[in-house]
Amino acid sequence: MQRRFPNRWMPYLLLLPSLVVVVVFLVIPSIQSVYLSFFRMSPFGDKMFFVQWQNFQNLLTSKDYLGSLWVTLVFAVCVVGLGLSLSMLLAVLLNQKLRGLYFYRTLLIWTYALSPAVAGVIWALIFSPSSGPFNYFLKLLNISPINWMTTPSVAVLIIILAATWKMLGYNIIFFLAGLQAVPVELLEAASIDGATAVRKFFRITVPLLSPTTFFLLIMNMLYAFFQVFGLIDVMTKGGPGNATEVLVYKLYKDGFVHFNTGLAAAQSVLLFVFVAVLTVFQFRFTEKKVFYS
Amino acid sequence: MKKLIIALLVCGLVFGLGFGKITLNFWHAMSGSRLGTVEAIVNAFNEANPGIEVVPQFTGSYAETLTKAIASVRAGNPPHIVQVYEVGLQTMLDSNAIVPLYEFADPDYDFGGIIAPILDYYTVNGKLYSMPFNSSTAILYFNKELFEKAGLDTTNPPGTFAEIMEAGKKLVDSGVCAGGISFGWPAWIFEQMHSYHGFFYSNNENGRTGRSTEVFFNQPFGVDVMAEWIRWAQAGVFLYGGREYDANQAFLTGQIAMLIQSTSSVGSIEAKANFPVGTTFLPRLEGYPRGNSVIGGATLWTMKGHSDEEYDAIWKFYEFLTRTDMSTKWHKETGYFPSTNDGVKKLMNEGWFSTNPNHLTAFLQILSGQKMPESQGVVLGNFVTIRDIVDSAVETAVQYKGSDPEKEAQRILDEAAAKTNQVLKDYVMMFGE
Repeated sequence: MQRRFPNRWMPYLLLLPSLVVVVVFLVIPSIQSVYLSFFRMSPFGDKMFFVQWQNFQNLLTSKDYLGSLWVTLVFAVCVVGLGLSLSMLLAVLLNQKLRGLYFYRTLLIWTYALSPAVAGVIWALIFSPSSGPFNYFLKLLNISPINWMTTPSVAVLIIILAATWKMLGYNIIFFLAGLQAVPVELLEAASIDGATAVRKFFRITVPLLSPTTFFLLIMNMLYAFFQVFGLIDVMTKGGPGNATEVLVYKLYKDGFVHFNTGLAAAQSVLLFVFVAVLTVFQFRFTEKKVFYS
Repeated sequence: MKKLIIALLVCGLVFGLGFGKITLNFWHAMSGSRLGTVEAIVNAFNEANPGIEVVPQFTGSYAETLTKAIASVRAGNPPHIVQVYEVGLQTMLDSNAIVPLYEFADPDYDFGGIIAPILDYYTVNGKLYSMPFNSSTAILYFNKELFEKAGLDTTNPPGTFAEIMEAGKKLVDSGVCAGGISFGWPAWIFEQMHSYHGFFYSNNENGRTGRSTEVFFNQPFGVDVMAEWIRWAQAGVFLYGGREYDANQAFLTGQIAMLIQSTSSVGSIEAKANFPVGTTFLPRLEGYPRGNSVIGGATLWTMKGHSDEEYDAIWKFYEFLTRTDMSTKWHKETGYFPSTNDGVKKLMNEGWFSTNPNHLTAFLQILSGQKMPESQGVVLGNFVTIRDIVDSAVETAVQYKGSDPEKEAQRILDEAAAKTNQVLKDYVMMFGE
């Protein structure tokens, strides 16, 4: 075998910067979280008690936590399901030869370039109960305005829409890339055999896109679990009631607003376990259906 | 390399210029137009005291400011002064990270000059731990234009819960606006209602004679208030507007005609409203005793770990803030109370209140109330969590569509009280009795 590096320490040296970053910003904090999850701590950290499994026990028996878990699951399923199907559809449309294609593509993709805070502000303004354009149009149509601040189901729905919209650009880019790999000959052959567009889509495009879809499934799930904090903080702060309090938001609130560090650490451990289990399941069961050409 | 040297030189120059000066880091949560006023006051201080440089830094919302302060204490590098909201009082007292005001204040300073209800709120066991800075209370704002359109008397605005309901119905039924009333800070307004009618919110005299271990807000008075709010919501009179200042927007756009909000919004509401704004006392629930509205806002806490010289400088800064010209400037530009009685006197002599009557409402309300332990203000451990629990309870309550508001209010408040009592129990476990 040819030695690629003249010095055997060279590869490790080159890896070092990323390893240091991973260890300092991921591994050490994770270990600290696990450690802290067995303690109860005063806000300023000057007092600490070992409480064994108390934090976990409190969480798993708390109605609020289980409620938050439920909200998160509903939210994740909707965001992933809606996001993937919508963006696959849009990507297929964008893969056609249209006039002004680049214009449409840019418009559909740039949502990903927005920061969550900006996206949150946009959606909050649109649906603002007193001065938002949405309620204004409802009024023009003689429909009584909706106050989504007080209606839990509406608030959840709007957060789901906003989160899906925010991730749309990212999904479309990947689907578009995946579509480039779908051989035109296959589609043409199917056309000659008399297959309809719908049939071609479900029988050829969808299966050939499955590696991309699988990748996006994992990424979207991680997004739905971990990265919606900004949107929720800007739009609802977890309200009305606890209707939009997903697990990450609850964690943030317990840890950084209520200063219950131990409880928040326990939540981060549980969240990690949930997502890890879900990911393993997906690799086990979904990946079998993935077709790598 | 060249860039690095330049950067170092610039740093050296900046620090070199500041050499010999005492630098005080001051973290605050005053956003919007208040930010400018804070900076103007700090600049005035820096000019008047060439040896001291106060560096104000906006560190986000109250909660974010406290989070940052805690992080800085843990990292061993706290600022000198941190603005902490009233619900953080107990947290700061138990923090082991602060220097109480009475330890370094000039012993000859006359604290009697500070407006009594403000002094009362922040005095714990007879001692003052932090410097009063921005204090407010809640009042009722109303839109005179919409009142007139609905045929209501602007010189006789609603004073009771029943009158709010009546006026609200008129406003909604006549179609001049979508809803009658909204609040900012719902949990705080719920606390206000307790003190305003002479009820304790929690045991041990609101946590003033010992740590509170139990809340009283699920007792008949609290249930009565909540049930009324549910009835307002069911009649379309109450329009929920969010947890902090979001309801102001609904008021400013004429969506609602009445708003219960902190006096600190007087300045911004008067500046932004394109209609005449009226203000009056908080509405009373008839058949209950009289108390007083309670103080909200924030105070300045001094952090441990600095030199004696720096504490002297901090005191100079605090003293400067209570100077009559500074505290009246603060009041005029924001609506917060000036902290001293001399400030109030000066404003009166200047004729400020006769040209700006809405700035007077809060004074009259708070100075005409009953002084009693019930209205001194609640001190709870983990108060931020408790506010959150009560906010959620209010949000749940006003969605109720059924026919028995009393029963539903009782159920929601019982649940909230059980959660709160657990929070209080945890706090006692952590910090002892």
